[in-house]
Amino acid sequence: MKFRAKIINKGFVELFIQVSVTIAKLTKVCVLRVCQDKLCFGPTGPRATREARLWCEVSRGAFYQFNMEGVSEELNEIYLELTSEHLSRAVRNAGNAASLKLQLTNKRRPCLTVAVELASRTGHTHLMVHDLPVRVLPRRWWKEYPEPNVQVSDVSVYLPGLRTLKSIVERMANMGENVLVEANLNGKMNLSVETDVVSIKTYFKNLGNPPKSALSVTQDRDPESMVQVWVENRKLLQFFEGQQINPTMTLCNILSNTLLHLVLVHEDVSLQYFIPAL
Amino acid sequence: MLKCEMNGSQVKVFGKAIQALSRVSDELWLDPSEKGLALRSMNSSRSAYGCVLFSPVFFQHYQWSTSMKMNDDDRPLNLNCKLGMKSILPIFRCLTSLERNVEKCKIFTRSDKCKVVIQFFCRHGIKRTHNVCFQESQPLQVIFEKNMCNNTLMIQPRLLAEAIVLFTSSQEEVTLAVTPLNVCLKSSSEESMDLTNSVYSEMSVDPDEFDFFQIGLDTEITFCFKELKGMLTFSEAVHVPISIHFDFPGKPMALSIDDMLLEANFILATLADDRSRASSPQSLCLSQTQKRSDLIQSNTKADKSGTSQAPECISRKTAPKRLYSRESPTNNPAGETCGNPQTKRANGGNIFEVPESSLSDTDEGPGSPYLRKAAAENN
Repeated sequence: MKFRAKIINKGFVELFIQVSVTIAKLTKVCVLRVCQDKLCFGPTGPRATREARLWCEVSRGAFYQFNMEGVSEELNEIYLELTSEHLSRAVRNAGNAASLKLQLTNKRRPCLTVAVELASRTGHTHLMVHDLPVRVLPRRWWKEYPEPNVQVSDVSVYLPGLRTLKSIVERMANMGENVLVEANLNGKMNLSVETDVVSIKTYFKNLGNPPKSALSVTQDRDPESMVQVWVENRKLLQFFEGQQINPTMTLCNILSNTLLHLVLVHEDVSLQYFIPAL
Repeated sequence: MLKCEMNGSQVKVFGKAIQALSRVSDELWLDPSEKGLALRSMNSSRSAYGCVLFSPVFFQHYQWSTSMKMNDDDRPLNLNCKLGMKSILPIFRCLTSLERNVEKCKIFTRSDKCKVVIQFFCRHGIKRTHNVCFQESQPLQVIFEKNMCNNTLMIQPRLLAEAIVLFTSSQEEVTLAVTPLNVCLKSSSEESMDLTNSVYSEMSVDPDEFDFFQIGLDTEITFCFKELKGMLTFSEAVHVPISIHFDFPGKPMALSIDDMLLEANFILATLADDRSRASSPQSLCLSQTQKRSDLIQSNTKADKSGTSQAPECISRKTAPKRLYSRESPTNNPAGETCGNPQTKRANGGNIFEVPESSLSDTDEGPGSPYLRKAAAENN
């Protein structure tokens, strides 16, 4: 098994740092799946249906150099389990790095080696090397960490500005534990929280809907009708506070009373967060 | 009696010194003498000592006079002033605004009332007075012949700071490994061996980057990172290069900055080498005593103020392996092997190839206790 990847573009270095920090905030231990054309970060541990789950992909295009050799020819992938905090700490201060290299190494134990190259003012380069301990997962466990399947959704809508959303969700979190998220096919989305004494509802309109995919169900749904899902405010807040990426595209898919699926995309990175209904 | 005066920018440097010393311990000695005003601090485990000596020319105005009563052998008395960091640190908070607003700062002592008075004369006619009570306590002093060390490095603080920013902050101890051709800073190997789940980091600095580079002894010393960072911040603030003096593991090392106006020294204990005898406090103490007694003799001859009495030696009383106490890791993955140790070199020493046999081969499924706990904590 071999893996080596290098980023030399400053923008992608920053993006990778944002991805690492986001993952560290959303999941303590993550599984890094090295595929031929991308890196996937997913959660670890047994699947509990009540948990919110993260799935992040960084495509090969972000890397200047990307070489991998999987476990075998037919199963050309590598599954590594690591502590997300280690990765985020190792890259956190690398904003001015000339290059960032990831490599799977075997130094007394399997490690993901992160090498950050900084150019100093005297013309010398400083190379900082971190060996992050990883656990290489055997093939028979791979089925425990599947890629989330693309679910059918009842409605799909582009999200309003993330900063606005985050501050609204923060304020709502003070009011109640559960929030109702609803959207319709006319580009409208509402967030509401309700207690015995007060109810707050925020209306967003003119958000736009992504083009209908073949998977979306209920073609004959009235475009004005709202598709609803109740979720725990805490989980929603954790996502907005944790994520560090400045996405170019954000949208959410709602499966009525079942799932809230948030998607952020920025260049070669996509971040998905699945929050189950209450 | 101590009486001294500073302007705004001097207050900033003074405050920075206090901040650097606060990383060593919670107590600060104010030790004035004819040589100037010394600020001293030593931590409770006696593994770190810091001293910043401001010479009289640093201040706008400096006056030190001994009290009327002298002790038996005609040596003038010290101020013997010990302050809590908690009382004095907040006074020198927000140094940039202090620098801007303070026109004059007066510090004087009233030993009859055991008080230090710090007065800030600020813009717009505002005067701020702080009365800090002190405890009578003889300051501790450590004599360290840094010029006798085999290895000396001097570097511009900015360069070193840029280099060490990449070190992850979880590391308490770092190892400095030097040869005449190379200087390398890395995580202490003791730390990374204890926990299978810790990160090992390493970084080299080119000898050319140092203003002064003298390595007489190839060595690796391990010391506390926090104190290096503290001294580095101070050194950056004063724009003076920082010097590192050291020898073999176990012997204390010195971080110092030397300027016309001030001299700062941080003496740190280093981890003794396992292979050599366990750090023998006795011998270390003795040599210090000898040096000390020499110093005291010469001091009394020249009739200078012999400040300290029985300075403590820098060595740990017991021989623990750590500079700081550490709790055992709570989630030690007991039932888990992170790779089969026998296959270490099975692939012919090629560290860039991870053989399949290094896959975790425990019988436990994906939800091992360690991970289950982590996952449970996650949500």
